[in-house]
Amino acid sequence: MVEIKGFLETSFLDWRGRMCGVMFLSGCNLRCPFCHNHPLVQSPESLDSLDFDALRIKLASLKKWLEGVCISGGEPTLDPNLPAKIQQLKKDGWAIKLDTNGTRPRVLAQLLADGLVDMIAMDVKAPLQQDKYDQCAGIHVNLDTIKSSIAIIKNSGVDHEFRMTVVPRFHSEVDIINWASFLGDDSHLTLQNFNPQSTMDPSLSTDKGFPPEIFSRYREMISRLGIWH
Amino acid sequence: MGVIMQLQQKGKKDREVSTVKGETTDLALFVRTSEEDITGWNRHRIVEALLRETYIDPKTAEKISIEVENIILSGAVKTVTGPLIREMVNAKLLEKGLERARRMHTRLGVPLYDVDQLLVHPNKENANVPHSPEATNLTLSEGIKKEYALLHVYSADVGDAHLSGDLHLHDLGFIDRPYCTGQSLEYIKKFGLNLPHSLSMAAPAKHPEVLLAHMVKFAAALQSHFAGAIGWDAVNLFFAPYLEDLGDRQVRQLAQMLIFEFSQQAVARGGQAIFSDINIYWEVPKHFENVPAIGPGGNYTGKTYRDYEDQAQRFAWALFDVYKEGDASGRPFFFPKPLVHITEKFFKTEGHMDFLHHICDVAADKGNTYFVFDRGDTAKISECCRLSFKLEASDFEDAKEPWRMRYSALQNITINLPRLAYKAEGDDTKLFTLLAEKMMLAKKGHQQKKRFIEKLMSLGENGPLSLLAMKCDGQEYLRLHRCTYLIGMVGLNELVKVHFGQEIHASDEAMKFGLKVIAHMNIICKKLNEETGMKFVLEQTPAESTAYRFAKLDIAHFGERARKVVQGCVEKENMYYTNSTLFNVGQTMNPIQRVEQEGLFHPLIEAGSLTHIWLGEAYPDREALADFVIKTFKYTQNDQVAFSPEFTTCLDCGKTCRGLHSTCTYCDSEHVDGITRITGYFTKVSSWNKGKVGELHDRYRNDNQFMKTA
Repeated sequence: MVEIKGFLETSFLDWRGRMCGVMFLSGCNLRCPFCHNHPLVQSPESLDSLDFDALRIKLASLKKWLEGVCISGGEPTLDPNLPAKIQQLKKDGWAIKLDTNGTRPRVLAQLLADGLVDMIAMDVKAPLQQDKYDQCAGIHVNLDTIKSSIAIIKNSGVDHEFRMTVVPRFHSEVDIINWASFLGDDSHLTLQNFNPQSTMDPSLSTDKGFPPEIFSRYREMISRLGIWH
Repeated sequence: MGVIMQLQQKGKKDREVSTVKGETTDLALFVRTSEEDITGWNRHRIVEALLRETYIDPKTAEKISIEVENIILSGAVKTVTGPLIREMVNAKLLEKGLERARRMHTRLGVPLYDVDQLLVHPNKENANVPHSPEATNLTLSEGIKKEYALLHVYSADVGDAHLSGDLHLHDLGFIDRPYCTGQSLEYIKKFGLNLPHSLSMAAPAKHPEVLLAHMVKFAAALQSHFAGAIGWDAVNLFFAPYLEDLGDRQVRQLAQMLIFEFSQQAVARGGQAIFSDINIYWEVPKHFENVPAIGPGGNYTGKTYRDYEDQAQRFAWALFDVYKEGDASGRPFFFPKPLVHITEKFFKTEGHMDFLHHICDVAADKGNTYFVFDRGDTAKISECCRLSFKLEASDFEDAKEPWRMRYSALQNITINLPRLAYKAEGDDTKLFTLLAEKMMLAKKGHQQKKRFIEKLMSLGENGPLSLLAMKCDGQEYLRLHRCTYLIGMVGLNELVKVHFGQEIHASDEAMKFGLKVIAHMNIICKKLNEETGMKFVLEQTPAESTAYRFAKLDIAHFGERARKVVQGCVEKENMYYTNSTLFNVGQTMNPIQRVEQEGLFHPLIEAGSLTHIWLGEAYPDREALADFVIKTFKYTQNDQVAFSPEFTTCLDCGKTCRGLHSTCTYCDSEHVDGITRITGYFTKVSSWNKGKVGELHDRYRNDNQFMKTA
């Protein structure tokens, strides 16, 4: 059963340009080795569950400060009650941002059709090559779902961004360029550097992120490709 | 001082020099006096010193000198020095119950062991002091001046209260200086650099670079006459008349020079960086709009400052470009601290959102920006970690001739609030009575320092404070009648915890009680003002070392009771009290709640307050921060906010990365140092005292969104 396992009352970094509250839902259908919310995925019982209505009350007290609520995970689209939760938050007057891995395009399409989402951030794990994607997701992924989600999001007219966590062990410069080119210049791609603290696969904990100057070069490269980063 | 000489038989030559009547002994001793000059033994020197320095009668003095001489002659002492003889005399005074005379005759100095320790180990009282010969000079001289202050400037009750930790007299080692100063560039723009007794006199600057040179020199001169911060008002505006002929690249270059000049001044007094603040306005502040502008050569330009908005904005923007870039290895600049004033007019000034995003970008990336909120008609000059001066009617009068605008707080005395709670044992009346008593003692301490500074100032341009006595505009630079006297506090959170049973953030009632305490302090200040005609105001003491010192002393005095209350780890000696009226730094509390609720205290603390938002490794979105800043201005009473990121700098490869790490993320070296805000300024973590290290460990960094099940 999907539960709310984390709540950040005020985030300055989850929604570009806005202060927002962030809810974290348990459970995920991927096993990305570099994931650092992995207790949400592997051992949600080790974390306190939070009451949705109690969080709504807390959020209401921050009404004049926050500009929205971000629903993150885990993978929130696995929650059968996600539409109901969002509807309630919408009723409370909140703009909604959804974080997703794009493996459930039909759920995404429905949420968008119902006008429940104001901003979508989709994590992409690797270039669309089966072996690479599976390696970065830690599990077999049907790439058609990913492609389909990308198309749905790009055509939705809803504010969106694609995010990619780049890990030296898995990603090369060419991978990043390929991705950026695939998304095209009307997309928003954000790179996040790998952080070895508390990873799902403990063997990654001794790996390092890209050195900052190389990482900044990748970011610049993407902006030179005409893609807003 | 104190070089030991072997006792030796007096030679022929010496006999001629030092024979005084028939009373000199055959066995003359060589004594090295404090003038470092070898003189022959003469018992009468003891008598002379006693009569000169104390109130005892000649007969007693004579008797003591004979007794001391007898000990020396008895052969018990093989080597003798001036300081040793003095201590022997003091022992005799003590034997005879002449305590007052002993205090007057005492010697100030430092044991050999301490000096050895000092020359080899760094001073951690103030993280802004590096370890160098200049720094140890400062510590040694501070040590002696501190003793002097406690013995000679303050009365015994005030001195004892300091020593026992009831209160803290700040900067005792700088007893002969006021605390801090804020001024505008107009003084040097108008009068040039013409300091008393200086080797050369400079006419008013004609070029911006020269104005900058004057500013830096003057700041260094002020640093050697004040204990604390040197603040500059509306720096970007007052530079503006010099910038009209400069291209954008030249303005940027000037901004870079200014910041590097101040950040690299750690070669000045005591090896200490000048604790410098620059106040920056996007708009032309109302009180300067119609003021005639002074330009190159100290001449009026024929325009008023209203006409320099564009130039002032260009300079402000360039300064933040430089802050954003950081130093040559990408580290944030520690000084000068930029304080941007957010006012009603700010929001009515064109381009303010772009500028706000720019300075929020710097806040997110490097942390430098301080956001100072001047709501309604208030205007302030800020300096030091938190200190700011609210401008009053007489100040607005001064603003017409801005070189007159110079403000000083003469001293800061901080009260140990948790100790009052241990003593009151739950009794409200007792608590508030004790609080009033300590504040009366603080008043007394302030009056004593005031009298001492007045005495030095009365010596005018030939006295030690000649710089502060100079009268370029007819008034002394230090306007003593306008000085403020600060009363600070440490550990309101722990006072409430002891007396009320909960920390301030824990309930509305605890919060109310905290407010009651500070409101009471505020009222007492007002009463003291009426009573003395001096201006007492509350300040949030930065308490870089006081928070640790009070916690440590309270554990010594109150044992287990204090152990349960102090923050940090007692075993590791990382204990500390929470600064001023701040909430528990480790409490999981969203930044909104923190700015709102800590802000409730700010209107009661007239000398200025600050809320810290610790960011850790997180890199917030600049627009989200800007939104937070705007809402803090609109919805709260908070006076000032700063966001503090953390960095790790590598001492091997020289690179700097985000977050506090045990090894360098570039080269894996373990030879790294952390950088973040200690109180109101950035510094290297390796220089922090133990209490602050404890606090750093506890700081809440807007994370912890997951709670592990019990």
